[in-house]
Amino acid sequence: MTKTRIAIASALAAALVLPVAAQAQGNTEKCFGISKAGKNDCQTASSSCAGTSKKDAQTDAWLSVPKGACEKIVGGSLAAKK
Amino acid sequence: MPLALPDLQAAFAAHVAGGDRADLAAVIVGDSIPAEARLRVYRHHVSHSLSAALAATFSTVHALVGEGFFRGLAQGFVAEALPMQPVLAEYGAGFPAFVAAYEPARALPYLADIARLDWALNVAFHSPEGRRLAMADLAVIEPDRLPSLSIALPLGAALIGSHYPINRIWSASQPGASAETVDLEGGRADLLVLRRADDAAFIVLDGGEAAFVAALAGGESLEGAAEHAASAEPSFDLSTAFARLLSLEAFAALRQF
Repeated sequence: MTKTRIAIASALAAALVLPVAAQAQGNTEKCFGISKAGKNDCQTASSSCAGTSKKDAQTDAWLSVPKGACEKIVGGSLAAKK
Repeated sequence: MPLALPDLQAAFAAHVAGGDRADLAAVIVGDSIPAEARLRVYRHHVSHSLSAALAATFSTVHALVGEGFFRGLAQGFVAEALPMQPVLAEYGAGFPAFVAAYEPARALPYLADIARLDWALNVAFHSPEGRRLAMADLAVIEPDRLPSLSIALPLGAALIGSHYPINRIWSASQPGASAETVDLEGGRADLLVLRRADDAAFIVLDGGEAAFVAALAGGESLEGAAEHAASAEPSFDLSTAFARLLSLEAFAALRQF
């Protein structure tokens, strides 16, 4: 066994006996934003009106600008300047 | 002139994807509503339903750009990539790449990375949780055998790296987030997305941990991964990092030992 390998083996073994407080640094971010609702219900009832418009949907993205939480993201060379 | 069934179906599919087909309209009975308008109902319904599915999967992208912009973005993608399978939760694998190339979104250079994060969370959420590697599993192994072990990430896990602080951008885009701003130049982020008991979640990794996890995911042994991490980040502390990742249940259980 090489020196590095011995060092790695003991560092890994040490990880298994670290006190719990030292282990739990940094909790996970719970992602409540994920929609758990089924998406395969084919848009029945409430949205069927929106879904059956006889007009083509407008694709006006070339004219529109993002209007959402991105206003909170500031700085950066490529970001839109205010 | 009636169309043969395969031609009729192909024409209808092409129409739904956005192409106007005079030959198709010609064989539809118009009656009180013109044939073209009848056909548009289907195109609109497909586009609307798939856009709504994308908005649910890419909820952070949706929150960042708002409804109007997202609709244009989603409809552009739908027209280019109709689903290849029947499960809408599995629709949108190509959306992050589409966002990256989408000209109107160029002012938001982080948006494609947020789309990758949304997609990874969606994949993790729809993956089985699986048994995770616990400290007790390793405690029974001879310490000098530990370096040669290969350990895998859980099913549905993904490492998402970005030049932008996408964890903070993600947090700022959640419903009920504070009005605090996020500095786009706040540094890179490396996130490990994981399936949790009843949710999906991500862990923020430092540079050494990210190199360690990436090497393990690439099939390296613990020893090889430790060396990768140490060269990526000289201050990498193997014991602390390994203990933290184990306690966060970031690895799949060993298949055999």
